[in-house]
Amino acid sequence: MNVINAGLYIHIPFCYAKCPYCDFFSLVAENELIKENYLNALKKEIKIYSQKIPEIFIQSIYLGGGTPTALSGQQIAEILETCYQYFRMNKDIEITIESNPATFDYEKANVLLQSGVNRLSLGAQSFSNRLLQKIGRIHNKKNILISYHIARARGFNNINLDMMFGLPGQTLRQFDRTLEEVGQLHPEHISLYALSIEPDTPFEHLLKGGLLKIPSDDAAHEMYLNAIDFLNEQGYEHYEISNFALLGKRCLHNQLYWKNQSYLGLGAASTSYIKNKRFKNFSDLNQYIELLYYDILPIESQEVLPLKEEMAETMILCLRMTEGLAKHDFMTRFKKPAEVVFNQQLKRLKEQGLLDASESHYFLTKKGISLSNIAFLEFLE
Amino acid sequence: MSKIEEIRNFSIIAHIDHGKSTIADRILELTETISVRERRDQVLDNMDLEREKGITIKSKAVRLLYKAGNGHQYTFNLIDTPGHVDFSYEVSRSLAACEGALLVIDSAQGVQAQTIANAQMAIENNLSVMVIINKIDLPTANPERVRDEIKKINGLENSPIFLTSAKDGTGIREMLEAIVQYIPHPRGSNEKPLQALIFDSVYNSYQGSIVYLRIVNGMVKPGMKIQTMSDKKNYEVTETGIFSPKRKKVDRLSVGEVGYLTAGFKDINLTKVGDTITDADHPAEQRLPGYKKVSPVVFCSLYPVENEDYHNLKYALEKLSLNDSAISYMPENSPALGFGFRCGFLGLLHMEIIQERLEREYQIQLIATTPSVVFRVHLKNKQVIEINNPSSLPESNTIDLIEEPFIQLTMVLPSQFLGGIMELVQDRRGVFKNLEYLDQDSTRLVYHLPLNEIMLDFYDRIKSISKGYASLDYKIINYQASPLTKVDLLVNQDVVDNLSFICHKDKAHDRARKLVENLKKVIPRQMFDVPIQARINQKIIARSTVRALKKDVLAKCYGGDITRKRKLLEKQKEGKKRMKRVGKVEIPQEAFMSVLKID
Repeated sequence: MNVINAGLYIHIPFCYAKCPYCDFFSLVAENELIKENYLNALKKEIKIYSQKIPEIFIQSIYLGGGTPTALSGQQIAEILETCYQYFRMNKDIEITIESNPATFDYEKANVLLQSGVNRLSLGAQSFSNRLLQKIGRIHNKKNILISYHIARARGFNNINLDMMFGLPGQTLRQFDRTLEEVGQLHPEHISLYALSIEPDTPFEHLLKGGLLKIPSDDAAHEMYLNAIDFLNEQGYEHYEISNFALLGKRCLHNQLYWKNQSYLGLGAASTSYIKNKRFKNFSDLNQYIELLYYDILPIESQEVLPLKEEMAETMILCLRMTEGLAKHDFMTRFKKPAEVVFNQQLKRLKEQGLLDASESHYFLTKKGISLSNIAFLEFLE
Repeated sequence: MSKIEEIRNFSIIAHIDHGKSTIADRILELTETISVRERRDQVLDNMDLEREKGITIKSKAVRLLYKAGNGHQYTFNLIDTPGHVDFSYEVSRSLAACEGALLVIDSAQGVQAQTIANAQMAIENNLSVMVIINKIDLPTANPERVRDEIKKINGLENSPIFLTSAKDGTGIREMLEAIVQYIPHPRGSNEKPLQALIFDSVYNSYQGSIVYLRIVNGMVKPGMKIQTMSDKKNYEVTETGIFSPKRKKVDRLSVGEVGYLTAGFKDINLTKVGDTITDADHPAEQRLPGYKKVSPVVFCSLYPVENEDYHNLKYALEKLSLNDSAISYMPENSPALGFGFRCGFLGLLHMEIIQERLEREYQIQLIATTPSVVFRVHLKNKQVIEINNPSSLPESNTIDLIEEPFIQLTMVLPSQFLGGIMELVQDRRGVFKNLEYLDQDSTRLVYHLPLNEIMLDFYDRIKSISKGYASLDYKIINYQASPLTKVDLLVNQDVVDNLSFICHKDKAHDRARKLVENLKKVIPRQMFDVPIQARINQKIIARSTVRALKKDVLAKCYGGDITRKRKLLEKQKEGKKRMKRVGKVEIPQEAFMSVLKID
């Protein structure tokens, strides 16, 4: 039996409140019953997939959301227990859970650690209470610090902080102060995202109506460049457009995505990519729950990626990482060198100063990272 | 065949919207030329565009039988004329085919600029003019005021005046009776060699050009050998007929009559409006007076928004020019806009009509460049060349002087707006010629100014200053030398040929600055700084910079996002594919469109 190494993503679509910039699928659970039903459906989905794709070999688990810690510690433990029961797992598996600092406490930290979670991702976003309030977060700076220190004290030795910049009313100086505070906590990993205004979010409407002022693209970009410099000085490796890690602490699960490898996505609205087949679950919770009740996989759509697109996506995803695309990996996967498949594109990008190459890799230049979309366009038809 | 004494040939002429077509409809009904069942408002206006704009673009003719009070049956030939200044030559030829004209004036609006222009043209053609004050059913009608205004127009002092409401039919019968009395019958002889005036022609793919004509002397019938006198080419007549109002074959057309003939004319350019048709075997000694070759006065470039539409555009222009010999078009290639055509028109309205027809009837989205007049360039080597595209102006050091067409602009407007309008026209290099009061309130204002000055937003400005009350009419009077200069626009050091313009040197800086600022707004940031400059000869007169794009990045891309993020990128790629290139700079088409629209 051929082994399929894959990551496992589990979506927990519940939140205590919906952030006005967020366009991920989540909802505020009205009652406990829906959580229970969802949990049962999830367990069933795990079971069905373990039978349907028995060759799957799980390398990482990522509990994302929504807010996974909107579930009780017990509920989270049950999900993981079910995974252990049905899937084959790598013994060095990385298990990450996302958490909102307002939904994390001593009790939960204990249960999570006991159930095998070994990486915690805290949605801190900012250390300014003013900004946190502006972007509709339910937590404050104090919550972040308490959650962080509890996690450390209980024994989490791999913590990520999700941070944001380009927030409404944020200045360069304010952002520098936030960076200082992050530096002092010195988490193993930092994800640093520019606020982006997504379609059909409250923020989009506010912005269009002139009721939301956000820093200019140029100002936001300066924040980004400052962050890269600062975090480098602090010993972090800038290993993906928006991600920084201390040595040996890169996120394994996310690297699967960026290397365009297989992953199984469970839960409402999640996406799977197994070999070259991509499929997506229904977002509607009732639909998801009902289909699984009848032992039917809740797949809404699927596509088989044509080779050309698979190659293009591999380029685009790998180039998000600063180390870039390993020539050898491309060759092994597609039996053709990247410089043959994308000869013209690579040449043009080099001429434009967006891309460079070493013996072993193609990678984006500093300018290329800032203008990565322009670089990526080259690989699309 | 009608007795010459019982023929009346006349036109209806009017300012836009004064009721010309409605009067024609009522005449058609009263003479029972069309049944009420067939009736569709404004029967003579065939094209959608004509109905919509309330103007006639092509001439039309219709034969009507009218039983007069004296018991005789008369043949009326009603020739409908194009209602706009751009087509004034066609109008003058239509009028030359008539003995009389009904000058229709809206009783509420009174005399307008085109009323005067039309009246003058009718008088120049020695027509008997009957003044029809129409729309007297309107609550705002003021026929007495209109009467006073008419008395002020040279040549109309003694014209008979009739009050009508074409809407409810009041006064129409009286008007028809008066046509019999006031408008003379045609003169001429069946015995003399054939002389027939071409006043319009339409193209038909089976019969070729169908010629609308008025027999001035002699007669014509199928089988006869005829000659077009401007080029001395011979043809054999295949069909003669009248309009009732559809085409109806008759076995001959005799002196005084109006009708059509076909003779296997392959191309509409072979049957030029104003030309004379004669008997090839017994040719007339002379052409009828007034023939001239019409040449385009306004040019612009038309490019398809979608490159693939180039061939459709070519096909459409070929088709349109089958029926409109006044359109000219030459293939043109622009680095920025791709393949298109440099097109010539009789005027701004003509240009607008053709653009609309291309977009509507042929569904081609167009980018039209800023219209230009025809400049006459005197070179130092004594050569004189005409250019219709600013980008083809020779190097300034080879130029002795540049002449541009001047117009006589006649406006009729309420006196309260005089100040604002005069200021505008003065600013457009207008030279004041005359001002007279038609009545207490209404004035007639005459200026001479360069045609180039009304190319951009002139009509709109006039409309807004006068709250829509001013009407205008113009004719080209001559060419005069002006201190003109060419301004080039450079994007990243490359000249954008379609944005070059020629204007008076005093105005160059101002217009250049505006254009540079507008361009800066619409050119997206590139990976490098893009200087935008306006230049006269080698001197930069305005500049601005589009700063380099620093950031174009999607912050997040994880498993669930990939499809969505790819779609975003694909959309961006799609937009990029539609970009036009000027050197290294990518500019969206919309940018050109918005820049070309703005003054």
